[in-house]
Amino acid sequence: MSILLAFVVSGLGIGAVYALSGVGLVVLYRATGVINFAFGALGALGAFVAWNLIELGHADALAWLAAIFVAAAGSYAYGRLIAPRLAFRDPVVRSVGTLGFALVLLGFIGWYWGEVPRRLNLPTDKTSIALFGARLNMTRIIALALALAMVAAISLLLARTRIGLYLRSLADDRDLSAILGIRVVQLEAFAWGISGVFAGICGLLLANLVRLQGMQLTFLVVPAIAAAILGQLRSLPATAIAGIAIGVTEACLTAVPMLAPYRTAAPFVIALVAVATMRASLLTMDRR
Amino acid sequence: MTSPSLPGEPAHLTVERPGLGRYRTLVTIPLLLMAGAVLVSLAANAYWISTLTSAAALALAAAGVALLYGQLGLVSLCQFSLIGVGGWVTLRTGFAFGWPFELSLLSGGIAASLVGVLCGLPALRLKGLYLALVTLMLAGGFQVIINAFGFPDGGSGFFGRADASQRLMLPRPLLATGNEAYFLYAVGVLALGLMLIELHRRTKPGRSWAMIRAGETTALSAGVNLLLYKAWAFALAGFLAGLAGGVLAAGVGQLDGRAFSAAESLNLFALTVVGGAYNWFGAVIAGLLLRAVPSLLTDHGVDGYLAMVIFGAALLHALVTAPTGIAGQIAGLGQWLTGLIASESTPSPAQQEAPASDKLAAETGERRP
Amino acid sequence: MKHLILAGAATAVFALSAGVASAADAPKCGLANGQAATGTPINIGAIVSKTGPDDFSASAQAAKAYFDCVNANGGINGRPVNYIIGDDQWNPEVAAQLAAKLVDDQKVVAMVGNSSFVECAANANTYAEKGVIAIAGVGVPRECFTAWTYAPLNSGPRLSTLAVAEHINKTSGAKKFVCIAPNIPNVGAWACDGVTVWANENGAESSTILIDPGSSDATSVVLQAASMSPDAIILSLPKGVMLPVLVAAEEQGLNETIKFGSAASGYSLDVPGALGAAWDGKFVVNMEFQPLEAQTPDNMNWRAVMDAYAGKDVPRDTFAQAGYLSARLATEAMLKLDPAKIERDSVATALSEVKKFESDILCAPWYYGAELSRHNANNTLRNSITDNGKWKTVSECAAVNDPELTDIRAFEATLR
Repeated sequence: MSILLAFVVSGLGIGAVYALSGVGLVVLYRATGVINFAFGALGALGAFVAWNLIELGHADALAWLAAIFVAAAGSYAYGRLIAPRLAFRDPVVRSVGTLGFALVLLGFIGWYWGEVPRRLNLPTDKTSIALFGARLNMTRIIALALALAMVAAISLLLARTRIGLYLRSLADDRDLSAILGIRVVQLEAFAWGISGVFAGICGLLLANLVRLQGMQLTFLVVPAIAAAILGQLRSLPATAIAGIAIGVTEACLTAVPMLAPYRTAAPFVIALVAVATMRASLLTMDRR
Repeated sequence: MTSPSLPGEPAHLTVERPGLGRYRTLVTIPLLLMAGAVLVSLAANAYWISTLTSAAALALAAAGVALLYGQLGLVSLCQFSLIGVGGWVTLRTGFAFGWPFELSLLSGGIAASLVGVLCGLPALRLKGLYLALVTLMLAGGFQVIINAFGFPDGGSGFFGRADASQRLMLPRPLLATGNEAYFLYAVGVLALGLMLIELHRRTKPGRSWAMIRAGETTALSAGVNLLLYKAWAFALAGFLAGLAGGVLAAGVGQLDGRAFSAAESLNLFALTVVGGAYNWFGAVIAGLLLRAVPSLLTDHGVDGYLAMVIFGAALLHALVTAPTGIAGQIAGLGQWLTGLIASESTPSPAQQEAPASDKLAAETGERRP
Repeated sequence: MKHLILAGAATAVFALSAGVASAADAPKCGLANGQAATGTPINIGAIVSKTGPDDFSASAQAAKAYFDCVNANGGINGRPVNYIIGDDQWNPEVAAQLAAKLVDDQKVVAMVGNSSFVECAANANTYAEKGVIAIAGVGVPRECFTAWTYAPLNSGPRLSTLAVAEHINKTSGAKKFVCIAPNIPNVGAWACDGVTVWANENGAESSTILIDPGSSDATSVVLQAASMSPDAIILSLPKGVMLPVLVAAEEQGLNETIKFGSAASGYSLDVPGALGAAWDGKFVVNMEFQPLEAQTPDNMNWRAVMDAYAGKDVPRDTFAQAGYLSARLATEAMLKLDPAKIERDSVATALSEVKKFESDILCAPWYYGAELSRHNANNTLRNSITDNGKWKTVSECAAVNDPELTDIRAFEATLR
């Protein structure tokens, strides 16, 4: 039993990152109807910039801010310059367009920094607390807190501010919003920027918790989509909880020797089971 | 072709042609493909023969993706996994029974079509992006499983792993053991696959699919069996992906799990759209884009990562500028040229007609009914 | 005047010492005659995994540096080597296409310096059928060590993993092992099975944990290993996957209670620094070659060749050592041939007759073994431990006791 609790604790860290990625994906999807396959690549780009700045001797805090800024700026640029050109296409095609963006980013990372295994060290790695026989370092605790705080913040933004109101109206009906005078393109680009902030933070955390490697970080977007599906691509709290649950389940499967080597399939299996059992009305929220 | 012209139906489906004229594509496909293949096999070196063999195999899979997307407006992002299923079964049965390659290939195709129907089950409840994402989850799961188990390589037991001894290679078909011959063989299988789709499009299934695409309620009221025809489309797309896997497996002699990641399925769909999902040769273009273009870049000494950047940028550019894909543009150009030759006085309407109606078709199918 | 003489003497001494220094640093390769080769080029190929989860290309880049040096020093009796490198992008399909290009189109006489994760499985049969011998740099999966004409210079993960387990057993008396490896067929389980079989025969025990290399949760892996309460944990993982596992182990305080060892994939100069002081003297790795900074003649020559003919961005790592060795071996074999008759058949014969290739980078002379159906000549290995941010060699060369080596050992007995 205690060993299982230890796995629960160890799964919280990676679960928090799934949660953050999932929320970042859903925020963008609600505003624009696009699933951003380049989410992981944007985070990776940010993390590599941070790593590079630290190697050059810059302050850690500056490097992290730069990472988040780079990811947000990259995401905003795509949202402002390229996404509008695909605006009137099939939602799947608009999402697949981000795959092209992901390839460009991934190729650039590989070409400029090379696929040499690296790790981004954070000062919070060295302090840890013991919990149920497992130790949880500060980075994981921060990841968890950050996930909860950012879900709360973005929920507040959507519920209480004017931009939030616009974003919600955009989520309901894009064409109607445009008629009402909402500046759709700018607003969508704003949502891309917000999603980029999430990508940047996730990239930093993953580069520390997992490793700093372009391919790995880029394709971690696929399990994050599982969390978004569990949140029905709409609910931010549900996505966050689903992300954490997926991380914990994946970790707990380690205790089952039969399934342990295949536990990375957990996000996909959970998402498929959820879709099979969800009420049909929840699944037809396809936008535009 | 007695059904009324539906708004969602691609233009060339509704055009009435006298007599057997509407089956003309069935003759042009094999003639054009085989003529091209013979020319290539005379001119190309071993590197390009081997590259183009892979391209022909992937064109088969792309044809399946195009069938689902172009005909029904459904997106499946697990088709590359189905290539893996087909390849796995082709290898397993090939090693187990030592029977002619064609039987292995067929069993691979059938197995993939069964799995394809299972993958298509979500389509009974879902569509659009949701369906796409759910199929992507399937691809993600497949990636984990195939990486852990690997492909059969002549061993015993269910998984057929020859872990303790030398790996065996799947023999090529007796008809085509050499590289050039096997390339022609692969193109032959591709031609048969494309003809199979074309035959479907021009008979009852094609009409039913067009109706489903135009709107499920319409289709139901017209008496179309939704379950049957959706499952049929997924089975056919899976079958083609399975054949692709079999052709790939015998090309190299075996397969490797690492080449079947979920990202490959995404890539396959993206390039099928770029190639063109509304014309039969779109799949051929997609196959070339998937294999020949990267080979061209690396053969010219372009760094693998820079090639990725170029590829990604080209993908975006093509998605933005060619809504009906490269094939749609070629078809538009062709119609414009024939129009130009037929009557010099009215060249411009013909130029606009085909792409515009295809684009309309694309959009009406994409929007929520 | 006296002043002048002294100054002159000082200059002479200075010039002399500079001359000595440059002589020591000058790379030696091939005929070492300083004349550029101008004859008909000899095509030699290599396939490496560059674009993908890790970059193995240093092997071929080091071999290229050596061949460039050979070409500037008389070539192969006057004929330069045209060395063609392909990147298989970690995709077996691409690897097969490249093999078609090199073997059929470019008509290479041999493959030298290959280092790929996917190529052996895809191409080993092609090479055997076409009579091409591949003197590879680094082979990883089992297929690289079970092929007719594919002979790597390294020892492979199985021997390397077992060697470090044997060392820990010998020095600390550890009896209970956990071996962690990727769940890739013919890589992970194969490597860890070596430890299991050896442990069973030697009164010890070993359990295996296979993990998905794409897994992002190292802590759970470490907790799983710890729950088996082992004396030692042996890692047979790619470096990128290994580091997070060690970091997670440190987080859980396991570096204080359990011995840790790793196959040669963990041997890289930046690892001790990256791990930090907490791991000082607590992490043993196996080495397939001489330590990278060793001041032995051939290792110095390797570095000199790299400095003279390879860019600064080419890593000076174990892959580069392996690539250098394979190129040197091939060059020396071809130099014995009549330059007019350097063809695929004659080169294959010359390579297959290599019985005693000596280098201080290797523990024991390397041989091809034409009579063998598989090749695994590098099977005598050393170990090294973390020490103050560096590696310190802790064991002499020792033969690995892998029961799977029976055929190899029997053949080696006939060589002596």
